[in-house]
Amino acid sequence: MSLSARMIIVLTLVGLISGGFLAGVATLTKEKIALNVQAEIEDAIREVVDKAKINTVLYEEKNLVIYRESGDGGDLVGFAVQATGVGFQDKITLMFGLDSALKEITGLTIIDQKETPGLGAKIEDREAFLQFWENRDASGLLTLRKPPTSKIDELLQTEINTITAATISSKKVLDIVNLSLERVRELIEQGKMNTEEKDGNEKH
Amino acid sequence: MELVAVFVSAVLVQNFVLYYFLGICPFLGVSKKIDSAVSMGLAVTFVMTITAVVSWLINNLILIPNDLAFLQIVSFILVIASLVQLVEMFIRKVSPPLYQALGIYLPLITTNCAIMGLALIAALNEYGFAETVVFGFGSGIGFTLAIVLMAGIREQLDLADVPEPLKGAGIALIVAGIMALAFNGFIGMLT
Amino acid sequence: MATKSIKAEYLKGLWDENPVFRQLLGMCPTLAVTGTVITGIAMGLATSFVLILSSLVVASIKKLIPSQVRIASYIVIIASFVTIADQVLKAYFYPLSEALGPYVPLIVVNCIILGRQEAFSSKNTAGRSFIDALGMSTGFILALLLLGSIREILGAGTFLGYQVMGSWFKPWIIMILPAGAFMTLGILLGIALLIESKTKRR
Repeated sequence: MSLSARMIIVLTLVGLISGGFLAGVATLTKEKIALNVQAEIEDAIREVVDKAKINTVLYEEKNLVIYRESGDGGDLVGFAVQATGVGFQDKITLMFGLDSALKEITGLTIIDQKETPGLGAKIEDREAFLQFWENRDASGLLTLRKPPTSKIDELLQTEINTITAATISSKKVLDIVNLSLERVRELIEQGKMNTEEKDGNEKH
Repeated sequence: MELVAVFVSAVLVQNFVLYYFLGICPFLGVSKKIDSAVSMGLAVTFVMTITAVVSWLINNLILIPNDLAFLQIVSFILVIASLVQLVEMFIRKVSPPLYQALGIYLPLITTNCAIMGLALIAALNEYGFAETVVFGFGSGIGFTLAIVLMAGIREQLDLADVPEPLKGAGIALIVAGIMALAFNGFIGMLT
Repeated sequence: MATKSIKAEYLKGLWDENPVFRQLLGMCPTLAVTGTVITGIAMGLATSFVLILSSLVVASIKKLIPSQVRIASYIVIIASFVTIADQVLKAYFYPLSEALGPYVPLIVVNCIILGRQEAFSSKNTAGRSFIDALGMSTGFILALLLLGSIREILGAGTFLGYQVMGSWFKPWIIMILPAGAFMTLGILLGIALLIESKTKRR
């Protein structure tokens, strides 16, 4: 057998055998991986919308996904908005919850961030940042409280405490939420979002 | 303009060497003289830009539509290995002195994490075609910038009194650390 | 050339020919994922998986591969094992996979792996190659563990996520940043060379 023929045969065999193996592994792991990705989203939703049992995607575009959250019976309990935007260091992906009337933010959690460790990364911290995102007024623009107040009751319903020494990352999160809220309002006006109850039970 | 942001980010804010830690081997190995650093940098930039194009095409026209995303790693590395071979043959024909100067560094570009990293990160971030090309070119420039700066500093260091155990890679890494700190200042530039 | 004993074949990977500290290979992942100990260990194990299996395969089929296409074949073999490692991590250790990011696929260009195939597996028996790979893997994991421990303890005050430094300690954030990684590795390299020169003088 000539050298060239041998080279080609060996390479083809190596390629085919490896390819076959990989296809096998891929098939085995595909489902599990998809489940993992889904679980991450569902965990985030559960953190920001109380009583959410069933998620349905209401609307999806680049960097924004809106979910309808319902209880076991299919009744509306709220909405979850997943948004990606520019952070200080790199992109930030977050999830915030809205009540069924789309008037209040019920909570916020960070899904992915690459901010400065120990500083900007504190946006993931419940005590330093996330706790201030509950019961916020979602009807207009939200603002940052600088410097942050230690008395939470002093915060206006449109205010969030900024993180000391991480004001830029805090502002980035705020911007993403404000922009998303604007987009949600736009979509409702354009009739692209179905915000109605399925069985007429309003829950606040 | 988003493309400008991608470029600036690749060169300064998320410099491939000083932020992503890619391309360390050639970064330490070829940064002793400014000329060889420049040549290596340009060769890498060239290979990176072409790799960006080819890897995007393969990923988006062949792999993803056919649910073959798991073949990314194998395809990308084979593309890179072939491209480097081609570039090597090309340089050999077109400029033998350059070929001599780069020596064994050319084949080493294949295992240069920077090139594979480029293909993977562009695929991970789901960049569009234009973005990927700009990202590839920008990362190459960023790599060249880091390696030339390092060469400049090392040429000076040669004349300084470095403690014996730190000579070579040790001091180079410490200098890289200081450079990384300096480049940290670019964060937030795009805000 | 005298053949080493099995024990020596293994131990050389830990110090004399430690892939990171002596051969200066595989520094990209060493710097990138040692921000915490757990990511360092995960990377070390994933790399070991690829290195050991690739060495076994290459050593077993080396006689069948014509020399001209050996590098291409090694690359395909290595890339396949890396893909398997990546898929398994994504499926069963999702949070770790997210933390490691693109660096698991990047194992394919870790100079240690291709280097070992060229330098050893292509010229030795499967048995010896296995021991060699085992030694190099251990050496690599040790290097990652060392760097990861230093960076996590000094940079966050924790080890494997558990607080080990008292509240008096203000973490050196720089340790988690790229700058800290570079400088720590540089200093460790210096220390390694220092120890080497001192032991030679005896």
